[in-house]
Amino acid sequence: MKIAMVGWEYPPFKVGGLGTHCYGITRAFSEMGIQIDFYMPKHSSGGAKGSGSLRIIEIGATAISPYDRPYESRFDEDFYQAVNRYNRICANSVKGSYDVIHFHDWLTVQAGIALKYKLGKPMILTVHSTEYDRSGGICPNKWFIDIEREGMMHADRIIAVSHFTKRILIEKYGVPESKIRVIHNAVTPIGEGEKQRIVLFLGRLTIQKGPEFFLRAAKRVLEKESCLFVLAGSGEMLPRLIELALHLGIGRNVMFTGPLSEEEVRHIYRIASVYVLPSVSEPFGITALEAITAGTPVIVSKTAGVSEVLTHCLNVDFWDVDEMANKIIALLRYGPLRKTMMANAKREVEFFTWERTARKTLEVYREVI
Amino acid sequence: MSKVCFYFEVHQPFRLNRFSVFSIGEKLDPMENYFDWKLNREIFEKVARKCYLPTNHLLLKLIEKFDGSFRISFGITGVLMDYCDQFMPEVMDSFEELYDTGCVDLICETYYHSLSSLYDDLDEFEDQVRMHRDQLYGRFKHRPTVFRNTEAIYDNRIASKIEELGFGGIITEGAQKILGWRSPNYIYRPVGSDNLKVLLRNHLLSDDIAFRFSTGDWKEFPLTADKYASWLNKCEGDLVNVFIDYETFGEHQWRETGIFEFLGHLPGEFLKHPGAEFLTVSEAVERSQPVGEIDVPCAISWADMDRDVSTWLGNEMQMECFNELKEIGTLLRRGGNGDFMRIWRMLQTSDHLYYMSTKGLADGDVHRYFNPYSYPYEAFINYMNILQDLRKRI
Repeated sequence: MKIAMVGWEYPPFKVGGLGTHCYGITRAFSEMGIQIDFYMPKHSSGGAKGSGSLRIIEIGATAISPYDRPYESRFDEDFYQAVNRYNRICANSVKGSYDVIHFHDWLTVQAGIALKYKLGKPMILTVHSTEYDRSGGICPNKWFIDIEREGMMHADRIIAVSHFTKRILIEKYGVPESKIRVIHNAVTPIGEGEKQRIVLFLGRLTIQKGPEFFLRAAKRVLEKESCLFVLAGSGEMLPRLIELALHLGIGRNVMFTGPLSEEEVRHIYRIASVYVLPSVSEPFGITALEAITAGTPVIVSKTAGVSEVLTHCLNVDFWDVDEMANKIIALLRYGPLRKTMMANAKREVEFFTWERTARKTLEVYREVI
Repeated sequence: MSKVCFYFEVHQPFRLNRFSVFSIGEKLDPMENYFDWKLNREIFEKVARKCYLPTNHLLLKLIEKFDGSFRISFGITGVLMDYCDQFMPEVMDSFEELYDTGCVDLICETYYHSLSSLYDDLDEFEDQVRMHRDQLYGRFKHRPTVFRNTEAIYDNRIASKIEELGFGGIITEGAQKILGWRSPNYIYRPVGSDNLKVLLRNHLLSDDIAFRFSTGDWKEFPLTADKYASWLNKCEGDLVNVFIDYETFGEHQWRETGIFEFLGHLPGEFLKHPGAEFLTVSEAVERSQPVGEIDVPCAISWADMDRDVSTWLGNEMQMECFNELKEIGTLLRRGGNGDFMRIWRMLQTSDHLYYMSTKGLADGDVHRYFNPYSYPYEAFINYMNILQDLRKRI
């Protein structure tokens, strides 16, 4: 079997779960000896490397990321034109004889549809997030939704990263259930470190990820406990969040790290005592699994796909900052709670390997070849 | 086998309110704020309507029909009687009516369905046993002769304390680990005891009704009264003890499963067999002689596959709460504020620790069914927050 996969990001350069996922399954494919060509845009930082039967093929550059919004001003050209241009490059660059072509999220969907018919091969689309997730449900942009829907209609199979996402695909996009397969994400273990009194948020600082609720919970926690709240990551909400922290009077106990390297990310996971994933809408949430493998107990939003597969975590409504604070304090105060949770959670997470995700993905390919 | 003891355990815990860390030290009224009275009332009324009232009614009819031959025993916790007083006195009336037939025996327990038998000293345990004994006398003018500990928890120390308190019999689980090759269908004597007799639950025949009755993939499904009566009759030994949760009737096994028809036909089907006889637990203790000794240095119970106390004390969260509860008790018994004493005792009900169990597999499913919390960790946080508040108050 030979696979063409078109992605956008690939470690060491990555912004979100899409990159982690592509890395995880392509490496697992390569270890299974499956031929896979991974197409991605050229990044200035570069550094993505193939291995074994995995080839990384860079195809021109684009400034756009799958997490971008059209109204952001950092683009030289018109956002929509830039997307169209990149998709044309993409459609022209993927060449060769493949059994399946596999795409991820909206950014390369147009190229995917063009290639499906040009090469006459089945198209697989993995949905890591939809416009409804990224907009946090606030004014979802119809342009993205239309592209996503078109991709879903043409795709031979759609892989959703959770049942949570599957429901959105059925209810909001009208995708027939028979086309959707749910394959949960996995995790590469990180290892434990010396714990400090740190409560961690790690993710893009956007509405979708709920950093504001994290800060409001921090305010409540700090009325009872002393500890440091770390927000790791960058994003459009950063200035607003800094202002909010100052306004809440908790500036001394809040730290914004900005973007972190892979090694820095692992370090912060290792030394954190509590990890919070307060997302408004989270298709999966690999970070929760990562935190657990670093020995950090997690509090997960009920609107996160990962809560489908985790039993040994605490769940909250993302808007319920008092309850979030209650649970953060409980984890900081009650040692036996942390110990019992971690002992069970680590065992639970061992099950989620990329090899397993890759094997399930292969099964989907076999359905359509 | 021609003799059988039917014993039903009747209990509901006082479920807790969501009590946040921010409520600790706020000096809220404990009775109002620790316990979720709305939920407690709803569940109690539901169980009373689905189980207690209809089953009592059916049993009363059966007792009348068989004119003294159908005899049963109940263990009604102090907490449950409090529930009746507070929400539905007619449930208590109906139990009293059953007792007045003379065919019903009542078993003594710890008033609060607590784990006090596992504390370092047995003062609190003794107090709770006496409280329940007084309550049974106060309401029914009944003097219980048989004791059954919370969830059938039993060890040598508990047996010796129960003998000291003047009981003639004690009930526990016929666990293979204490019996070895021996049968539960006999009466035994606890090691080192002079007069106490042990009744052992036959877990296969008990669980056939309590758990397997409506299990479609069980090879004996559907279980009919004549089939079950023939099993009872075929058993070797002196007597079969069928001990089950009363809520089995109409609540764990819904009316639609046919559980009431089963119960309705069972006495008649059993009594058809020559020499068949129903006994109350007191009668069983009086009439049978021990055939051997049982030695239980480590506590056993009737719960889960392990048949030990790991259901309540199996992980660090449970141990921490248990120790905290004991420490609060030590402080209270030294100081002795009556109001807080009652609250502390209500918090001793074993169910609170049960909700924190993280045991997996088959047992985990049973746990979830009975659990008002989605996760054991939530149960721990809530309960621990309440204990922290209580500690600050005394």
